[in-house]
Amino acid sequence: MSSKTVYWWVGTTLLAAAYMAASMVVGGDRRPLLIGRTTDAHHQIEMACETCHAAGPFAGAAAAERALNETCRNCHEAELNAADDSHSRSMFRNPRMAAYWEKLDARLCTSCHAEHRPEITRTGAVTVAMDFCVACHSEDEQDIRLDRPSHAGLGFETCATAGCHNYHDNRALYEEFLVEHAGEPGHKPEPVHGLTARLRLRERPAETALGRDDAVAPAAALADTKVLALWAGSGHAAAGVNCGACHAEKPDAESEPADVAARTGPADVVAHWIEAPSTGACKSCHEPQARTFARGRHGMREHPGIAPPRNPVEGLERIGLSRVTPAIVTDWLADPFPPARMTVGEARLPMRADADARRALDCGACHRPHDVDTARAAVEACVSCHDDSHTRAYAGSPHHRLLQAELAGEAPPGAGVSCVTCHMPGTESRDTITTNHNQNDTLRPYEKMIRSVCLDCHGLEFSLDALADAGLVERNFRGKPKVHIESVEWAVQRSTADGRSGTR
Amino acid sequence: MGRTTLDRRWAQRYPLTWGCRGVAAPNYGFRIVQRSLKMQPRTLMIAAGLAVAAVTAIGAAAQGLPYPKVADMLYRVMSADREVYTRMVVQRLTLEDKVLTASEHFEDEAALPLPAQMFRFGAETVMNNTEEFSYALLSLNPINRTNGPGTELEREGLEFVTENPDENFYGEEELGGKRYFAAVYPDRAIVEACVNCHNNHRDSSRTDLKAGDVMGGVVIRIRID
Repeated sequence: MSSKTVYWWVGTTLLAAAYMAASMVVGGDRRPLLIGRTTDAHHQIEMACETCHAAGPFAGAAAAERALNETCRNCHEAELNAADDSHSRSMFRNPRMAAYWEKLDARLCTSCHAEHRPEITRTGAVTVAMDFCVACHSEDEQDIRLDRPSHAGLGFETCATAGCHNYHDNRALYEEFLVEHAGEPGHKPEPVHGLTARLRLRERPAETALGRDDAVAPAAALADTKVLALWAGSGHAAAGVNCGACHAEKPDAESEPADVAARTGPADVVAHWIEAPSTGACKSCHEPQARTFARGRHGMREHPGIAPPRNPVEGLERIGLSRVTPAIVTDWLADPFPPARMTVGEARLPMRADADARRALDCGACHRPHDVDTARAAVEACVSCHDDSHTRAYAGSPHHRLLQAELAGEAPPGAGVSCVTCHMPGTESRDTITTNHNQNDTLRPYEKMIRSVCLDCHGLEFSLDALADAGLVERNFRGKPKVHIESVEWAVQRSTADGRSGTR
Repeated sequence: MGRTTLDRRWAQRYPLTWGCRGVAAPNYGFRIVQRSLKMQPRTLMIAAGLAVAAVTAIGAAAQGLPYPKVADMLYRVMSADREVYTRMVVQRLTLEDKVLTASEHFEDEAALPLPAQMFRFGAETVMNNTEEFSYALLSLNPINRTNGPGTELEREGLEFVTENPDENFYGEEELGGKRYFAAVYPDRAIVEACVNCHNNHRDSSRTDLKAGDVMGGVVIRIRID
């Protein structure tokens, strides 16, 4: 090997090392460092490495793993708490559970959900073998077959896949719940989704409602009669929300403490007019919706737990090079990822070819800014992008026909079933009903949908069977379930076998 | 429900990390004195005071109090809080005022959590915040199998307090590569509702429990190293 070749080899290696070091410590594109395809949804934040890898660069393996697992809770803790987690971390952190740590360490999310391991990742980002229940529930006093003869012969790989049990969320699957709902008809006599019906039927106070003539905006804006008509027919106008609430710059709370409410006077609105308000205007009133939006796949990049792109100047300051680094290098080291919002083109689910791949998912992606027609956001917006078999089968499905009947006034409010009815159902807290904008909240796993949606119209057994029938889900519930889950019968048999009570 | 007090003298005579097993361990040279606890009118204020004591109990260990003493202090706080909840919340609202019920599935039924559940929620909340100490309500005849004896010490301790309901059990054990001081306190059925539920529950192996019986024990662990 000639000395020239050696020089080239050494030089190239040093340059590559410098690039790697700069991208790790300071800023810049880190995609070459990605060690493996991330799981669905996490792929949106895979370049915000610090979101999960929170330990320092020289932390030991154990400390790094602890820090990594703590970060999971930044985004998933609320969901686990709401699920009444059947295998909570707090339960397994008690040292009396040490014998279980060696079987399956339930203190760590990463025991079952390893990241960057596409070759072993299954639905739900699960990366352990599907018979993981056997680790603890097959021997000694935890042997599930001790007092449940019905379970003899069942494979341990079927516990969490057959529609009977979930590792975290069993709110619709626990024994007493099954017994209580046993014998319900598949279709209830007057099927109506209760919270949806109440949302549709809510009354707005007539005295605060606004009309076209009440609009307060610059003359140029008022000249757009189409927009004006849309607004006048919207929920915003009905609720007394005038143009300035979104289009006028908000007063500064510190310098103008006397008037921090939305600007209302014509001169005030015109003077502070914003032609294209940001989504911040939406969030200022719709905070609960924004909070849940950031927990779902559409808006997760806005979640406060996600690390923002790195500031290269700060990175250079840490290593004492900020003053000697030319601006061109600082600019080159700016973090290009992740962008502020998810785009249609970044989706891993099938999307329509005619959907705008560059379309960012903000409030306006589903809601038109002036007509705020929630009926459009409930179906039309979804099907304008999603192109999987379940979505394609919706048109003409029994649920869709019910929605058409409701919109035509031939069925009562809440009888129709739109995409939002099942995937973004309303939640009630302190007499306020809010649409859950985390579109994934009822999907991890499917059984989470049972209590919040299915049981309003269907019996529990029918619901369990329908959700366990993958083909039926794909056909958007055209037809009857061809799968039968026996858990309700088994629970009833056990509850009546010895005449003793359950846990009530 | 009982309250255990320890003679101050042994706390001064014996080193911090020594385990002790009630009166059955004469080498340690001290006795455990069991006294009955009567409900006082200002129980809530006392409970609040004890809660403050719990916060400082672990700190007390660091300042030189022996582990049994610290465990006893923790136990008194837990025991008082549980008794207050049982008598002043659950009993009052379910049996006297009859405006609510108490149920394991309290969220589904808009009911009160059972006292044993409140105890467990407290234990799990502690585990979310510290690994310095832990506690659990266990039994040789649990409804939920997870609450049965899980270690040799737990079995030995639960058997000891069942056979010696006026005494406590102390010891040390290694779990997950770390050493712990452990104390087991007898847990009695303080109201009829406890035995009724346990006797009638299909997952319970006992049907003959009576009010006042030792149904299990509270196990408190404090990390030594």
